[in-house]
Amino acid sequence: MTLKISSLEVGYGKRQVVKGANLTVEKGELIGLLGSNGSGKSTLIKTIAGINSQTKGTITWNGDIDLSRLARKDLAKIVAYVPQSIGLSFGLDIREAVLLGRTPYFGTRPRDEDWAHVDAAMERMGLDELGDRAVTELSGGQGQRVLIARALAQDPEILLLDEPTSALDIRYQWQTLEVARDVTRKNNVAAVIAIHDLNQAARFTDRVVFLQDGVVIAEGRPAEVYSPELIKRVYGVDVELSTHKGFVQVHPLSEQGHAQLGLHPIASEPARAHRLAGQREYATA
Amino acid sequence: MSSVHSDPLHPIAPPGRRRPADRYTSQKLAIALGFAAVVITALIGIRIGTSGATLLDVLETFWSKIAGTVPTDRATLLKHNVIWELRLPRVLLAILGGAALAVAGVLFQGLLRNPLVSPYTLGIAPAAAFGASLAIVLFGATAGSAAISLVIGALLFSFLNTALVLSLASTRNLHATTLILVGIALSQLFGALTACIQYFAEDEVLAAIVRWTWGSVNNSAWYQVFALFVLLALAFPYIRFRSSALNAIAFAGDDSAKSLGVAVSQVRLQTIAIAATLTAVTIAFTGIIGFVGLVAPHIARLVVGANHRFLIAFSAIIGALLLVIADAVGRLVINPGVIPVGIIDALVGAPIFLYLILTRQKAIE
Repeated sequence: MTLKISSLEVGYGKRQVVKGANLTVEKGELIGLLGSNGSGKSTLIKTIAGINSQTKGTITWNGDIDLSRLARKDLAKIVAYVPQSIGLSFGLDIREAVLLGRTPYFGTRPRDEDWAHVDAAMERMGLDELGDRAVTELSGGQGQRVLIARALAQDPEILLLDEPTSALDIRYQWQTLEVARDVTRKNNVAAVIAIHDLNQAARFTDRVVFLQDGVVIAEGRPAEVYSPELIKRVYGVDVELSTHKGFVQVHPLSEQGHAQLGLHPIASEPARAHRLAGQREYATA
Repeated sequence: MSSVHSDPLHPIAPPGRRRPADRYTSQKLAIALGFAAVVITALIGIRIGTSGATLLDVLETFWSKIAGTVPTDRATLLKHNVIWELRLPRVLLAILGGAALAVAGVLFQGLLRNPLVSPYTLGIAPAAAFGASLAIVLFGATAGSAAISLVIGALLFSFLNTALVLSLASTRNLHATTLILVGIALSQLFGALTACIQYFAEDEVLAAIVRWTWGSVNNSAWYQVFALFVLLALAFPYIRFRSSALNAIAFAGDDSAKSLGVAVSQVRLQTIAIAATLTAVTIAFTGIIGFVGLVAPHIARLVVGANHRFLIAFSAIIGALLLVIADAVGRLVINPGVIPVGIIDALVGAPIFLYLILTRQKAIE
């Protein structure tokens, strides 16, 4: 089963943001969308999720399902979207926040089946002991897990993550990315994640796609596609590349470039992240 | 990370977990108890007044109306008339008006994703005040708040204001924050127009305008009770039907709600139209009662949580209770005089709300 995006064009008013993007994602594959701010990553993800409308092109699933023509509820049963942050106005408890993922499936009253999906998604994300806690009391990492649990409760075949790590500190970034990769494999979904950090993308995604001014300019396995020339072209930063435990790493040649790419020191983090991912952290509030 | 579920597509709830049917027992119980409390306070409210009436008198009045009998002695007939023509519509208007404002408050707060929003945020109250002021100037200051010209004036400008907001929201695809700002601008505009009328008005007219803005159920009438009852009876099933969509918009935001299958613009427009109509009709009958629509949803959230499936009904109950009690207090304090319900509501409600904010800050946030 394949998510296929062909010649996609999306704009806001007269401004075109995505200009003829092509992309394929297989089930069980996590694709990293890379590019500088304003390159069209979020717009592309939101268009696949049905939040934005495309002006041209097609988005198909499994060859014959045109996602842009599906009714909103039917689309929500195939595609789940995880935003940057939980951003809640009122203190809904975690179980009900995850239940929102079942919105496309029930009318006014959730059925036993809906609760079973909620319980399974919460258990899957390690939230089952925090069910009655208000989401406003959660840490950033826990909040992100609630959002992913909500997406899992949707029972999707396509999972879209829109810069889910951008509001998190390094510990929760790693944890969230591990979860995203794990869910992609075990739930066998086609997943796309917009991400800023090139080293994290290399570590966690199967393939990366570079967007520049709304156009896909390169795609492939990180080790194959990363090059100093490409990174200079996309981000305007001079870098060197190395390999650590089989993963390509990017090293900016200047401190300014380091800040510009927002990279985290990758060499020391994986072990720590693995340790942290095995723990359940609780809110300090 | 905890253990991975073996089959995420066909999950089975682990043993020992609460059965789904049991999850909302406390909310259902709160609504049942709240409803009983409304009935009890209404019966007490009907009894309060200068001519006095026992619970038996109230029940006798109901029975004589149901059975179609007319009391033979004059004193009983008078008592029955006071209860049926004055007290009952007054208490019922307080119940329905309080419920309508509270429901409108919940809907606006959820749809605009802002706990500070009230039914008047989009400028409905100043628009109604201007309409009422204009009616008083054109048709005379002696008319009570039940006068049709006053009700029509308030209603007309409330709907004009609402139509303006809704057309801007739909044609310009406005987001929640922009809608609030549009409401603030319209409030200022209608406030200034009303101030103009007040500036040039005779003392008698000015007094009538100010009296109207206090908010009261003193001039209640059965047609008002009937109109609000029909409106609420029509609105409730729709709102109930949309409760999960409202949850998605309020708690996940526009983008996520769309990705959850909700037609956000459509739901927002329809629900704002309902909330604005409830508000407009209520304040056309009662004048501006400012506190219920803001506070009742917050009090309700503390008891039944934030899920709109239960929050809407329980907010209606709290709104009804607040107004019935405020009206009863207003009739007792300077008996036989009456302090308008809008004043008592704010006087009693503000300290309670302040207490709740300071003691239950987290729950409210």
